[in-house]
Amino acid sequence: MARMKFVCDAERCINCNGCVTACKNEHEVPWGIQRRRVVTLNEGQPGEKSISVACMHCSDAPCMAVCPTNCFYRTEEGLVLHDKDKCIGCGYCFYACPFGAPQFPNGASAFAARGKMDKCTFCAGGPGENGSEEELKKYGRNRLAEGKLPLCAEMCSTKALIAGDAEVLSDIMRERVLRRGYGAELWGWRVAYGDGKQAQRGQRVHAPEKP
Amino acid sequence: MSRLIACWMRRVGRCTAALLVPLLMVTAAYGAEVGSYRGGRIDPQAPAVMVVPQGHNAAAFYDGVRRSLYAPGVTSIQTPEANVLIQSEGNTWRQIRNGPITVWGGWLILAVMVAITLFYLVKGTIKLHEPTTGRKLLRFTVYERLVHWVVAISFVLLALTGLSLLFGKHLIEPIFGTSVNAALLWVAKNVHNYTGPLFGFFLVLMIVRWAKDNLFTSVDWLWAKKFGGLLSGEEIPSGRFNFGEKFWFWVGVTVLGLTITVTGLILDFPLFGQTRQDMQLAHIFHASAALFMIAMAFGHIYIGTIGSEGSLEGMKTGYVDEAWAKQHHAVWYQEITGRRQ
Ligand code: HEM
Ligand code: SF4
Ligand code: SF4
Ligand code: SF4
Repeated sequence: MARMKFVCDAERCINCNGCVTACKNEHEVPWGIQRRRVVTLNEGQPGEKSISVACMHCSDAPCMAVCPTNCFYRTEEGLVLHDKDKCIGCGYCFYACPFGAPQFPNGASAFAARGKMDKCTFCAGGPGENGSEEELKKYGRNRLAEGKLPLCAEMCSTKALIAGDAEVLSDIMRERVLRRGYGAELWGWRVAYGDGKQAQRGQRVHAPEKP
Repeated sequence: MSRLIACWMRRVGRCTAALLVPLLMVTAAYGAEVGSYRGGRIDPQAPAVMVVPQGHNAAAFYDGVRRSLYAPGVTSIQTPEANVLIQSEGNTWRQIRNGPITVWGGWLILAVMVAITLFYLVKGTIKLHEPTTGRKLLRFTVYERLVHWVVAISFVLLALTGLSLLFGKHLIEPIFGTSVNAALLWVAKNVHNYTGPLFGFFLVLMIVRWAKDNLFTSVDWLWAKKFGGLLSGEEIPSGRFNFGEKFWFWVGVTVLGLTITVTGLILDFPLFGQTRQDMQLAHIFHASAALFMIAMAFGHIYIGTIGSEGSLEGMKTGYVDEAWAKQHHAVWYQEITGRRQ
């Protein structure tokens, strides 16, 4: 069985928030909840990086480990899904998750009445019948059961965000890194205009004329 | 005067040391265990600019992000902390809660239960040495009893519901299944959340009311030295409250009780911009203090019920028999009756 994964290529992500919007719309996610978000590091500085993040469907998932009702389960594809009928809204998964994935429709309210936890499902719905009305209401659309990949990744304009079988994703990333050659250096004067030595090295980039 | 205070302080010091030292040792060992789990910590003074990734390998850069070495990022999402890409301390908290809190806590509670059962089987109930006289002394006013029972009942509710949140997965679920466990925990969580503030309020009333009578006096030294005659069966004189009760009052009710209340309220009302780190810390202190307090409460409840004949009567009716007062609280007996035995 394939092990499903997300990868966000920080060298490609342009912080367009298309994935965020796609997710929100596809699953009619309640107000105040974004299953996916884009975080920009070093904003406006050399080395700026944007990364789209949602539930990472961890192999050794902290949310699962702390849940008092054990309402999480792992699917055959390695996805971490949960049963809202068993969730008591204690918030422990939210404290434990390194990626800020679990969220609560009520927001913070008195007596920690948080409502049922909601998070990214890798577009794989939840327990119960695949594609049922109930599943749609509680967890959103089950694209995986229809043979489709997560919409956020499908919609990504730069294909920074990719989702699917971990082995395929690694191959894609490996190839990208090899071809890119630049790695994380893709920034600044030297990259844009060269350092004047490319011509000598027979590279395609045209060096500016020396004054 | 100052010599008197110094002398008194020394005595109190020695009395307290007898019970406090082992407790502090356990607490320190526990603290060291919990403290050994290290997570990242978001540094408010952290540089806004991170290490610029160098070369093909940005590992150092992302390692710094993971360990929260830099200021958080920027995002258009408005929910609190959405700009934090990774909070590794979430997993640290998980290790502490599922590690020492669950494991040490579980063994502690089990050990205390076994110890008290053994004690009961070996020593049995402490009987009254003299027949009851039928003459009653007022020990607790209606107000005191009301406060005590509200605290006691809410404490038991909180302990049961709190423990089920921590251990339900290990004890209830394997027998009754996830659905039953989840349904019970839903009730437990709501009972816990609503009873908490009630407990806290009455706890403060209790501390205010009984603080004076729980100040240590020189007679307490004898009680502490002889462990209240619990092992020898001797009658040790004491004031209105004996050293054991005072120890429970200050360490259990006051220090642990207030710690539980303050951290419980932080967990209960996530309305004041608490971050996940605040909640994790509050939870660690809350659960740890609660487990220690539950362990101590076993002793208190035991001695107040089947452990000692006639003790429960005082808190039930407000009155105790003179024979009981003379045997357990001789100094108090003299004070309120003006009689010597
Ligand atoms: C002012 C009083 C208290 C308040 C406001 C309070 C509040 C809370 C809250 C909000 C939680 C998190 C669980 C959830 O949201 O479902 C919690 C957990 C817990 N509380 Fe309390 N509580 C109080 C007193 C107590 C007392 C007296 C005890 C024990 C005697 C206790 C034992 C526990 C335990 C064992 C947990 C579970 C920890 C875990 O599952 O990891 N609490 N409490
Ligand atoms: S919710 Fe968080 S901890 Fe749980 S699997 Fe997703 S990313 Fe991992
Ligand atoms: S909020 Fe729900 S899913 Fe999260 S730990 Fe609590 S019961 Fe489990
Ligand atoms: S995989 Fe699906 S549920 Fe998860 S963020 Fe993307 S669109 Fe949303």
